[in-house]
Amino acid sequence: MYPDEPQLAISRVLDAPRGLAFQAFTDPDHLATWWGPSGNTLPRDEIEFDVRPGGFQRWTEIAAAQPDLLVHIHIDLTDVADGELLEGVMHVTGRLQDDIEPFETRFRVEFHDEPDGRTRLEIRQWLPAHLAGPSNQGWLEALDKLDATLLHIQAVATDAEV
Amino acid sequence: MAGTDQLSRVFSALADPTRRAILAELAERDATVTELSDPLPMSMPAVSRHLKVLEQAALISRTRSGKWRASHLETAPLREAADWIDRFRRFWNTSLDRLDAHLAAVQAAERLDKKEL
Repeated sequence: MYPDEPQLAISRVLDAPRGLAFQAFTDPDHLATWWGPSGNTLPRDEIEFDVRPGGFQRWTEIAAAQPDLLVHIHIDLTDVADGELLEGVMHVTGRLQDDIEPFETRFRVEFHDEPDGRTRLEIRQWLPAHLAGPSNQGWLEALDKLDATLLHIQAVATDAEV
Repeated sequence: MAGTDQLSRVFSALADPTRRAILAELAERDATVTELSDPLPMSMPAVSRHLKVLEQAALISRTRSGKWRASHLETAPLREAADWIDRFRRFWNTSLDRLDAHLAAVQAAERLDKKEL
């Protein structure tokens, strides 16, 4: 159903032990504090977590700038390893910004120990299957390369206009 | 933003390595089907079929000047495809900045609790 290679890969080191970093993703009170852009509100009574393989995470988000937009997040957790791994499919529905249609996206968050006691997150995300196409092996790098080429062309074009 | 159908066409056009190679060529300069076929291990009709897919995704436009029909790269749809990915990247980066601050606050509070004990 999903192409193997993620379209998005983010690596980030957090100044916290691995257990606490994992808790920040799996404890409702923690997640409500940091998830989404600043001003994002997650009503506490609409957060429901059952963190285990085959479990779920559900919540609703209200954006500060547009309180009439309600976004519902429903994650089906496909794989969970305590303190190490969260993997699942996130279903995003409700009234979304910028005319975005409801979509689902597969994600994977790995928690790794750094030698200095900090925690490295490896986040992978796959584009919605209907957008990504049937086989996208290697196109992320190609897109990056094309992007660089295009930016160069645009820079040249801008110079030419002066 | 373009509609989902349009984006879907862009992504599935990009899914093929030959079509990406063609786009990379066109990023350098406009080219005819003959010029595009030259470095590729395939026939001109095969390249023409790929060009048709790219044209349907609005990733290229084709102009006729004299007897040559040149393909031209259209950057806007490519930009929109990249925007989709950027949107998620920004979301994660913003969230992770807030997570950093949250974790610092939690640990500062823990240290304070220990001192008071």
